Amino acid sequence: MWTGSIIFNNKLGPQHLHMAVRLPSEFVNPSPGQFVMIRPARGGEPLLSRPLSIYQFTRNQDHVILEFLYRIVGQGTELLSRLPSAAEVAMLGPLGNGFRIEKNRSHRILLAGGMGVAPITFLAQRLNDLVVTKAELQICLGAKSCAEIVGVERIKGFQGLMNIVTDDGTIGSCGLVTDLLPDITRGCDPCQTMIYACGPMAMLRTLAEELAPTRIPCQVSIEERMACGLGACLGCAVDVHNRRGRRVKKSLCKDGPVFNIEDICWEQL
Amino acid sequence: MTNRKGLDGKGKLAVAIGTLKLKNPVMTASGTFGYGEEYAPYVDLNRLGAIIVKGLSLKPRSGNPGPRIMETPAGMLNAIGLQNIGVKSFIRNKLPYLRQFDTAIIANVYGETIEEYLRVSEILTAAGGVHALEINVSCPNVKRGGVAFGTDPDMVAEVTNGVKDVTDLPVIVKLSPNVTDICVMAKAAEAAGADAVSLINTITGMSVDVEKRIPHLKNITGGLSGPAIKPVALRMVWQVAGRVRIPVIGVGGIMSPRDALEFFIAGARAIQVGTANFVEPRATMRIIDGIGAYMKRHRILDMDNLVGSLRI
Ligand SMILES: Cc1cc2nc3c(=O)[nH]c(=O)nc-3n(C[C@H](O)[C@H](O)[C@H](O)COP(=O)(O)OP(=O)(O)OC[C@H]3O[C@@H](n4cnc5c(N)ncnc54)[C@H](O)[C@@H]3O)c2cc1C
Ligand SMILES: Cc1cc2nc3c(=O)[nH]c(=O)nc-3n(C[C@H](O)[C@H](O)[C@H](O)COP(=O)(O)O)c2cc1C
Ligand code: FES
Repeated sequence: MWTGSIIFNNKLGPQHLHMAVRLPSEFVNPSPGQFVMIRPARGGEPLLSRPLSIYQFTRNQDHVILEFLYRIVGQGTELLSRLPSAAEVAMLGPLGNGFRIEKNRSHRILLAGGMGVAPITFLAQRLNDLVVTKAELQICLGAKSCAEIVGVERIKGFQGLMNIVTDDGTIGSCGLVTDLLPDITRGCDPCQTMIYACGPMAMLRTLAEELAPTRIPCQVSIEERMACGLGACLGCAVDVHNRRGRRVKKSLCKDGPVFNIEDICWEQL
Repeated sequence: MTNRKGLDGKGKLAVAIGTLKLKNPVMTASGTFGYGEEYAPYVDLNRLGAIIVKGLSLKPRSGNPGPRIMETPAGMLNAIGLQNIGVKSFIRNKLPYLRQFDTAIIANVYGETIEEYLRVSEILTAAGGVHALEINVSCPNVKRGGVAFGTDPDMVAEVTNGVKDVTDLPVIVKLSPNVTDICVMAKAAEAAGADAVSLINTITGMSVDVEKRIPHLKNITGGLSGPAIKPVALRMVWQVAGRVRIPVIGVGGIMSPRDALEFFIAGARAIQVGTANFVEPRATMRIIDGIGAYMKRHRILDMDNLVGSLRI
């Protein structure tokens, strides 16, 4: 378990925060889609750490900096939000299997709903280095309203085409991220394309339904409540189809959080 | 056979559970430490008194649908439903790894029927490298078996008797707190030949999402663990320790050395650490060190002088 020291923990809106944590340089380089289990170092209630995706990673000479984007939804995230600079956090990670980057697929579509923007931004940064033309990377961000679109500035710095949608149309177009799908995927070559997505369950479920007939491959990062984050408690089990099409249990924390969209048994979620 | 791996039972913290000699009294609770390997990056497994692995059934079990866990004040509810890889896969794929460590390996045994308990026990005994069996007659999250056997003293006796007939390994019977009088169950296990009892398994509980008006767990009810159950576990350990002659192993909400010490003083010969592993993977290491430091500070020479030393 790492002990990190908070560099900043800034409010981006009423419920959204951007946190940076300084950690020892022994922290292994994470890949996009991986996460950490985090809690205040001094302990207390709630007891269990919470999973947060890595939003940004920087390696400096004698330390590393991890950044997170998170939303207050309950007690655990509320407690994190109240930590001041220099406060200490306890952390396990990097954990899980992140997104697979397939270099031979030249067309990448990234879809982020809500806080899904955190791992998607980290991924976009990695892909940015591989991209030759703007059209090779398409990023779609969705949220409830303008106030909940966070982290846009960083993404704007990357190559690629960007679309923003909000439920109420207060910024970008009005609707859901998945509404953009028909336009974006029209004429796509399934062998050249890879979709990466993270967001609320409803969004991912729609995505699964709409992508099924197109045969475009898609990797999704999904969520489940966690206790250990290490594959030990079996609290985060999800039903997945294995290669032979048989339904098996996988631990989201160890085998995921990223899965091929067609492998997930959506009717079980 | 139990001494094979240098578990010579020497040292201040050494304890004996029947013929099972442990280098220290700290074990990992079943279901909270996977099959050991998950924690190897964080914990020196050689330092543990014993590793108790996730409950094993004859066939693999896929467990309950999710959500399976929910944090509650000072604890958590779980309804895993005994998902496990099955006893044969355990022996083939997990036991060889565990054998390399200088610690006792205890297999937690579950069955839907008495026959299944016996069969799993037989297979584990024949495998070699398992040092004791913990018979789980107390899982609250399965439809058949589990706690159904643990709430009836005749059934506890029958399972214990049967398992004793098919194994020469020490047999620990893990008791459920979801009964009127846990001492009755402990006495039944003792009379049937159990070498030790461990208690408590989780306390059945529930939690509701008031916005959606649905239970937080798909299984509706689950087992409560963590600090919230410690006073109940401690009370039960104290009661049982006063009623049986076989060793009592204390489990429930142990997060710190101080918690562990409370159990020893109340009569537990050894303890298990469960939910604390989730909060801090190195909890067992801190607890072992803390017990050692306490013994030194209080000039207590060995565990025998600590266990059951409650002054009333
Ligand atoms: C791999 C992974 C990566 C994540 N990355 C991020 C991130 O980068 N930014 C971010 O803001 N959030 C992220 N989350 C979600 C975050 O972990 C939860 O919001 C957080 O655990 C809620 O804790 P809480 O104590 O504040 O709320 P709680 O009081 O625990 O719960 C409040 C509500 O949120 C639901 N909830 C709790 N935990 C989860 C969960 N893990 N997934 C979905 N719903 C949950 C509960 O059912 C409840 O309705 C991630 C989750 C996972 C599994
Ligand atoms: C996620 C989880 C899984 C568990 N699985 C098992 C199991 O397979 N067999 C068993 O006998 N007890 C099981 N238990 C119960 C624990 O071994 C222990 O008795 C209980 O959690 C109380 O201890 P604690 O408060 O230290 O966690 C499980 C507990 C948890 C939290
Ligand atoms: S959170 Fe414990 S197995 Fe995934």
